[in-house]
Amino acid sequence: MIIGIILGCFLVSTFLLVIAKRITALVHAFRMQSVFLFLYTLYMSIGQQSTELFAVCALVLALKVVIIPLVLMRITRRINTEEDLGLLINPQISLVVAAVLAYLSYLFTYNAMGLAHSSASIAFVASMAAASIGFFLMVSRMKALGQVVGLLVMENAIFLAASVITGGMPFFAEIALFFDVLVFVVIVEVFVYKVNRLFTHIDTSKMQSLKG
Amino acid sequence: MIMTCKVLLICLSAPLVSGMIRKMKNIVRMRKGPGILQPYCDLMKLFSKEEVVSKNVSWIFYASPAIVFSSGISALLLILIASPGYQDAGSFAFLIAAFFVLGLGRFFQALAGIDAGSSFGGMGSSREMFISSFAEPAAFISIFVLCVSGPGTPVFSFFLAAAALFMVILAETSRIPVDNRETHLELTMVHEAMLLEYSGPSLGLIELTGHIRQMIFFTMLSWYLFPVARAGSLGWILFGLRIMAIILAVALVEVSVAKMRLFRVVDFLSFAFFIALVASIAAGLGV
Repeated sequence: MIIGIILGCFLVSTFLLVIAKRITALVHAFRMQSVFLFLYTLYMSIGQQSTELFAVCALVLALKVVIIPLVLMRITRRINTEEDLGLLINPQISLVVAAVLAYLSYLFTYNAMGLAHSSASIAFVASMAAASIGFFLMVSRMKALGQVVGLLVMENAIFLAASVITGGMPFFAEIALFFDVLVFVVIVEVFVYKVNRLFTHIDTSKMQSLKG
Repeated sequence: MIMTCKVLLICLSAPLVSGMIRKMKNIVRMRKGPGILQPYCDLMKLFSKEEVVSKNVSWIFYASPAIVFSSGISALLLILIASPGYQDAGSFAFLIAAFFVLGLGRFFQALAGIDAGSSFGGMGSSREMFISSFAEPAAFISIFVLCVSGPGTPVFSFFLAAAALFMVILAETSRIPVDNRETHLELTMVHEAMLLEYSGPSLGLIELTGHIRQMIFFTMLSWYLFPVARAGSLGWILFGLRIMAIILAVALVEVSVAKMRLFRVVDFLSFAFFIALVASIAAGLGV
């Protein structure tokens, strides 16, 4: 019952990422998705009574809900760019694509796992849908920050999928993953800042040709 | 007999629900505000007043309040037939019929808005139809979730459908991200602009229908959020608690969200539509 609602919120916030037109809205939606990921891990760790899972849960809260959105907002402020995300595909069509992706992930889960009504299959559906939507965000958003958020969404989704399939990875693997993501975000911050100073924009569609 | 009691109770408590939402909003905003019985006083005042009607109106203007009110009551009866506990295989058709009957009421309301020929009325009507043309698909798809779901309570798809229906409710009952009931500012009002020409008992009838419509939508939302039905007096208490929960959610959303530009409403409601679509796929596959 509770798990269904949390995962429903997770999927809704994933769809919120798709209709976001501005960078701030995108980051807020990402933060919302991370909050539901945190609630999911919290629910799991209460169910399993394991200290390691509680630690992972605290890491999710600290890193994905607080630090990464803050860093992303800081880049947005520092590079002083306009808020527009540079949508290749407008929000309505993006929603159609996202619904199709969600359908495909339902179909995949249905054929691969066949577990109707179990919370594991719902979580798997949500994570598959979020992963493919994150990938779609990376493809269809021209600004570098949109692509970064797309990658982070995929990371969230894969975290969810891993916790569903394996029932919690080894603690060290989790820690390593979290620091990987943290380092990724910090590097991206520097990188985007440099790109913006060099090219005066972060629009990747304008970086196809060589600059003389 | 039980059915009659239900209809009467829902009709009589409908203004109370609006009053409670208003009170709750005022509490959150640290204001005093009118008491929760204020809608009843408003209705009594309107029904005891004399009616002023423009010289330029046709029969549509006179007929509309009655049509709107009767469509609201018929829709209420239809959804009570289809409510959990009374359901059989064909009863979901009543839900869809209820939406069409409500649509009839809205059609006449929009016509009456144009009828007097004032500029605000026409603007309100066109905006109302614009919004409802986006709200209706989302509402229908989220009803289909209830229809296609098999035995058991698929919480996941029901919750997604409830999220979609909640957004539709905000649009249909003219709540803040879409419309604002508390203002008569010409640039922002949608629903109120349509009713500007009405006064006295006619306005009272239309307002009462607004309360009943809101109650219809809240009842439907409560089926999604709390799919288990109980009979007897426990059922009544649970029903009250469920409606209270929805009132709280609506009031909190209304005080914490800013009103959207009219053309952002398209994004809002198409979001609701696709959430409902995903929910119906989930329900169809039995997840």
